[in-house]
Order: sequence, then C-alpha cells, then structure tokens
Amino acid sequence: MQNPTSSRPRTAAAAATVAALAALALAACSSGGGEPAAQPSGSATSGGAAKVAVTLTSAGGADACEVDTTSVPAGPVTFTVTNKDSAVISEIELLAGQRIVGEKENLAPGLAPVSFTVTLDGGSYAVYCPGAATDTVPFTVTGQAATPTGGASAILEAGTTTYATYVAGVVASMVTSVDALKAAVDAGDLPAAQKAYAAARPFYERIESDVAGFVLPGADPTDNSGNLDYLVDMRASNLDDAVGWHGFHAVEKDLFEAKTITAGTKTLAAELDANVRKLAELSRSLTYRPEDLANGAAGLLEEVQANKIKGEEERYSHIDLVDFAANVEGAEQAFANLEPGLEQIDPDLTATVEQRFDDVRALLKTYEDPTALGGYRPYTAALKASDSAKLSQAIQALQEPLSSIAEKVATAR
Amino acid sequence: MSRHDGGVSRRAFLGGTLGGIAAGALVGFVGADSAQGSAPVAGGTDPTLQYPFYGQAHPAGVATPPQRHCLFMTFDLTTTDASALQSLLARWSAAFDVLMAGHELGTADPDRPHAVPTDTGEATDLGPNGLTLTLGLGPGVFDDRFGLAARKPAKFDHLPALPSDQLQDALTGGDLSIQACADDPQVAFHAVRDLSRLARGVAVTRWTVMGFGRASAGQGQTTPRNLLGFKDGTRNIRSDADLGQFVWHDGQDQAWMKGGTYQVARKIHMHVENWDTDRIEDQERVFGRDKRSGAPLTGTGEFDTPDFAKTDASGARVIDPQAHVALAAHENNGGLKILRRSYNFTDGMDETGQIDAGLLFLAYMKDPAQFVTLQTRLGSSDALNEYISHVGSGVFAVPPTPERGHFIGEALFQ
Repeated sequence: MQNPTSSRPRTAAAAATVAALAALALAACSSGGGEPAAQPSGSATSGGAAKVAVTLTSAGGADACEVDTTSVPAGPVTFTVTNKDSAVISEIELLAGQRIVGEKENLAPGLAPVSFTVTLDGGSYAVYCPGAATDTVPFTVTGQAATPTGGASAILEAGTTTYATYVAGVVASMVTSVDALKAAVDAGDLPAAQKAYAAARPFYERIESDVAGFVLPGADPTDNSGNLDYLVDMRASNLDDAVGWHGFHAVEKDLFEAKTITAGTKTLAAELDANVRKLAELSRSLTYRPEDLANGAAGLLEEVQANKIKGEEERYSHIDLVDFAANVEGAEQAFANLEPGLEQIDPDLTATVEQRFDDVRALLKTYEDPTALGGYRPYTAALKASDSAKLSQAIQALQEPLSSIAEKVATAR
Repeated sequence: MSRHDGGVSRRAFLGGTLGGIAAGALVGFVGADSAQGSAPVAGGTDPTLQYPFYGQAHPAGVATPPQRHCLFMTFDLTTTDASALQSLLARWSAAFDVLMAGHELGTADPDRPHAVPTDTGEATDLGPNGLTLTLGLGPGVFDDRFGLAARKPAKFDHLPALPSDQLQDALTGGDLSIQACADDPQVAFHAVRDLSRLARGVAVTRWTVMGFGRASAGQGQTTPRNLLGFKDGTRNIRSDADLGQFVWHDGQDQAWMKGGTYQVARKIHMHVENWDTDRIEDQERVFGRDKRSGAPLTGTGEFDTPDFAKTDASGARVIDPQAHVALAAHENNGGLKILRRSYNFTDGMDETGQIDAGLLFLAYMKDPAQFVTLQTRLGSSDALNEYISHVGSGVFAVPPTPERGHFIGEALFQ
C-alpha cells in the first residue's frame, strides 16, 4: 500500500503491451548451470559446441577480461570463465545490443571455473565485463544458427497474458468477497463480518502492486480523494485529514477494536464495496510488459518488509500473516509467469529465486493455523518480537535475486 | 570515485572525477611493502589512507593502528552447502579488496535503466579512510554442516560460561564475523551493508555493534579514553615481539591458520548513570589509575609500571588488589597478554530511560584460552564489575590474508 504522498498514479492504458518480437530474436538456450566447468581448452569447436575461454585478471590494478577467441560459427557456444585474480570483476555478460543472452555472476578469485552454453545466431555480440579496464570485447558469430525458435521474448509475452488472466480472476474474487463483507456488516453480524474481512483481504494483497496507484477518472493525482488505493487500503498511520479515513482498515477498526457495527461502519463498508467495484472496472484495461511482472513482484515483497513484518498493516485484526502470505503468493504468481522465459535467459537466477520462494513458503507454513482467522496465527506483539527477524531475513534472501529479474526480462527482446 | 563507474562511459578507466580526494590515493595502489599504512595525522584523519588487503603477512584490522570508528557484525549461516560457504568467502574476499581501496562494489549508478545498483552508494567520493575488513570464522563453521570438522583447531571452541556473564542469546555467537573499522563511520557502515547484501540467502545477520571512538591504543597512538572517562589500553601490546608471542598463530595444529589469530568480541554494557555519581576516589580505586593522567596510583606518569606490592602508611595496598589494572596486569597473570582493539558504543536509550552505552571489546590472541584466563579472573573479582555487564560475546578464528587470486579460508576446502 502506498503512502498518500508517494502514490504512482497510473492511467489504465499506460502500461502498454509491448510491440512484437524484435526481428533479431535469438534462441538463447542455456545449460551448464553453476557446475564447475571442464578445463578451458582454448578456442575450437568440438563435439558441436564452439568453446570460448574467458580469463579475468588483475595486473597492477588494471583488471582485464581476456577472451581467447572472438569469432565462432553460429550454433551452440560454451563460455568457460576463470577468475584468475581480479577482485573487481564479479560477473560477465554476453550481450546482443543491450540484451543479455548469457551470463555468469558471483565470480571471484580462487573459485573453480564456471561455464555457460548459449545457442547463437550469426551477428555482432559483445562480452561485457563490468569493472575491467577495457570492459567490452566485441564478439562475432558467423553464419546462421540452425533453427531459430520462438525465443525467450515470445515466451515472456505469453506469460504476461496468463498473468493478466490471473489478475482478472483475483479482482473478480475481491469484488465478491467485499460484497460478502458488506452484506455481513449490513446484517449487523459481527462474527460473520470479522470472518468476511479476513476472507476479503488476501485478494487485494495479491495484486496490490498492479492496482495501487489508480486515480478516479478526471481526478487530480495529488488529491487523495480521487486516489483509489487511499480510499480502499489506507492505514490509520498515514491519514490525510482533508480526506478522512475510508476503506478496509477503517472497517477493520470498528470490527476488531470497537467490536461494534454502527451506522458509520455500514457507510464505510458500502463505500468500500463501491470503490472496489470502480477499481475492478479500471483494472480491466491493464496490460503488462514482462518487467511489470518482475517489478510488481518486487513491489509486493517490499510491502511485506515495510508493513506486514512490522505488524502495521492489520493493527486491529492482527491478520498480518494472512496479508504476508497473499503478497508472497502474488509475487510468486508473477514470477511463475516469467519463469519459462527467464529459464532460457538465466537458469541459475531462475533456480535461485524458485528455491527462495520455496524457503519462504516453507517458513510461512509453520505459521498456518486452520482455527485462526484467515488461516494463520495472529501476528501479536509477542510473535512479532520473537519471529520478525526470521521472517524479514527470509524475505531479504528472496528480494536480492528477485530484484535483478526486471532487467533480464526487459532486455529480452 | 569508482574506477568502473558507468556514469559517463564504462571504458573510462580511472576517468571519473575524484572529488576532493588526492589522485594519488587511487593511482598509487598500495604495495605490499606498506603493510601498516601510515598512522592517522594528529588532530585529523586522512581520507585517502588506504591499507592493502592481499598478500600481507597478517590480516588487516588487527595490528593496524585503531581507526576512529568500527562496526562489528556477526552472521549465522543458513546454508548447509559447503560450496555456498566457499563462494561467499570468495566473494567477500574480492569485495574486501575493492572496498578497502575505496572503490564502489560494482557500480552505484548502472548505465542500464532496469539494472539494480550493485553498490549502495553512500561511501562514493568519501575515500578509503583507512578501512580495514577483518573476517572471523565462528566455531559453528567446523561443526557437522560443512564437512570441515577435521580443520578445526584443537584450541578453538565456543567460549565457556565465565564468571559474571550476563550474556543475551541475541547478542552472542555467530558463524561469521566482520570487523569494519575506518576513520569515517559511513565508510565502515557502507562496507558492512554491502557485504551483508552479498550474503543474503546464504547467511543472515545475527548481532552488531556500531563502535565510535577508539578505546584502545595501537602502535604510535596516544591512549584514548573509554566512556567511564579513563584512559584505556595504556599497557596494550605495542611491539612486534609481543605480537609474535601473544597474537599471531604459528600454524602448529592447523597450517591454514598460520599468520592468523583469534578474535574475541564482547559487548560490555556500562552502567554510566551509577558510575557518574561515584566519587573520584572510588573511581580511581576501581581502575587503579589517576583519572586525568592515567598514571598508576603508585606512579606519576601514564606509562609508569604499577607497583602492585606498594603499601600505604596503614599497610593497605596502594593499588587495590581488585582494581582493574591489577587483575588485568600480565605481572599477575603469568605474563599473559592479549591485543585489545576496543571501541566505545551507544545504542541510544534503553527501555528504562537510561543511556545504553558501553564498550565493544575486541581482542586478538593466538589462543582463545588467553582471554578465558584473564576474564575468569576479572569476572570473579574486578572492582569494575559493579559498573559493567558483559551482555554479548563471540569467538572467531581469523584466517591469514590470501595472496592475490585466492580467498580467505581457501585452504579449508582443499
């Protein structure tokens, strides 16, 4: 959720779909993961794959990136990278223009050589070694590759379409669940309304980074009275006095702190229902670029760190872990839709992020409680005191690799 | 400042502006022959002061004259994969070299709009400020997780419970430690922050103390004061002979430790409000020294050798046998010495509204038993115990410095 002063107004059509595949699309099929490579064997083609040895060195502080051959025939190419003694260079990338078609990170002196294999079309490339005195080495591929197939870019585009379907489904469920909340409030049924509140929250939290920032048509983006995220999800701590308190958390306070349903609660619930419907309407026109999914996932994890782990999101109901799980689920859905394309660009990164999501999910599982509201243990002051560091560290471990996905997918075309 | 700053051109090696920093600091990459750098200029510090990382006889940040500030952080390994540990130590080692030279770790301002900066940027343009980075391996590294049990030095283990310990679990232990000392606190903070980033997913932060104001003198330095107002470290190890005898590991038992040392870290809380209301006579009795001059109560100059046997007219010892200086003295501990490298710290206010402050005690020795012996004695009967509590603790093996092309602890994995 956004602070009213930092909202990012976004018109529905602004996140436009990307143009078609770039003509020079390459099939960059990687293999070779993070295993130590065989000894570099100079330049040559053997067993079908051309071999290129890259050696990182440091001579009196002038770090160098030595590429033993700078021209290979089209087809599979294996790059073997050895960091002899450069403390400065920690990664190398193979670039086609601005696009990363292969790379190795976490290189450091003393570690075993690593390799990656890519299938390259004929054309001009560059080996980029950030930190080297001459950091870009031109690299030429002659001839044509055998069969250019779809490529990462097309797969990523397909992923954005699937993700849009996911968002639409969550939005529809959000509307239904808020309808149910309104009905329970209207009926004056406190236990039912509390349950309906906990049931409705996860839908917004799963897609918050996509739908936050909408302003009502014609509204001034700096005026919170037209900011739907403000009207739907503002917490007591960030109120704009001129606009007053509306939305989920105003209802939450009545249901969980005052524990009374008043005429005011009913007005708030009706208003929330109407605003969620407006949000649903506006979000219908959303389209996504691959980097929107990556940035959205990163945004959801920032939400977890900023609000859920601190217990500030659900101050009265203490269902912060329900929101936490929903943020993570939303981030994971976005990642899952990028995964098939990302797998071709950077299999190591894909595997790392997947593993870290597994770790977070396994950790969250330990907080499940079917008898608790929303299915997770209430995030009390005591639980926060004992467990917040552990939760935060698991998210940090995921945030770090996840934050580099956007660039990978944005340049994959 | 970074020689690989992408702001203008990635190819502009050494082409960036150096801000106010002398160009010589960057161009004159420190050679192996200036192992200890130069001592800070009296009355000020030199932002271009730079210590070398690779190829030194001993790890930086031990015999190095204490810088003004120091951030100490410990980590717990979350991985059980030896290759992940190896990779972390290799990445950290390379990063130590880059950071100690005052460079950005990668770049704080990448050319490509979607790239995430690899360096967090707050130390850009500040200069190295004498930064030293010192890595410690906790006893946990040698448990059954990484297959390194056979490499564990026989003398190295978790510290035993010691008299007067009031250790808090959250401030104790750790599989790894990083000591980052610099004359500019932001340089030290930046180093630890960026190193923590490299560890994410492999290790998590455990406890940390941000030390300000050195509270131990090194070679060529005047003696600073601790937060109780007394000079601290007057009798600290200063000579190379003492370093050889008491601090540097000789490689017996485990060859990979040769030239390294052991680090003991203690977070010592001082009850400053109580101390501040104590009369000067008692404060000086507790330390066994004059508050202003630092002279032992049996002498007139700071460096006078204390006479622990001297009695006054009534027959009482002039230096109370329970005075801090008496209990810590090598004369009273079979000649035992350790190298102290402590810093004052404050964490602001505690929950009772009192000042939360004290000493980040850091000490180096060739055998952790040296500390255990001294602290057993001090913890039992030090007059100072009324005013201090040891609340945090850790012990770490500090491997020797690698040669260029290698990383700290590489020998462990071969």
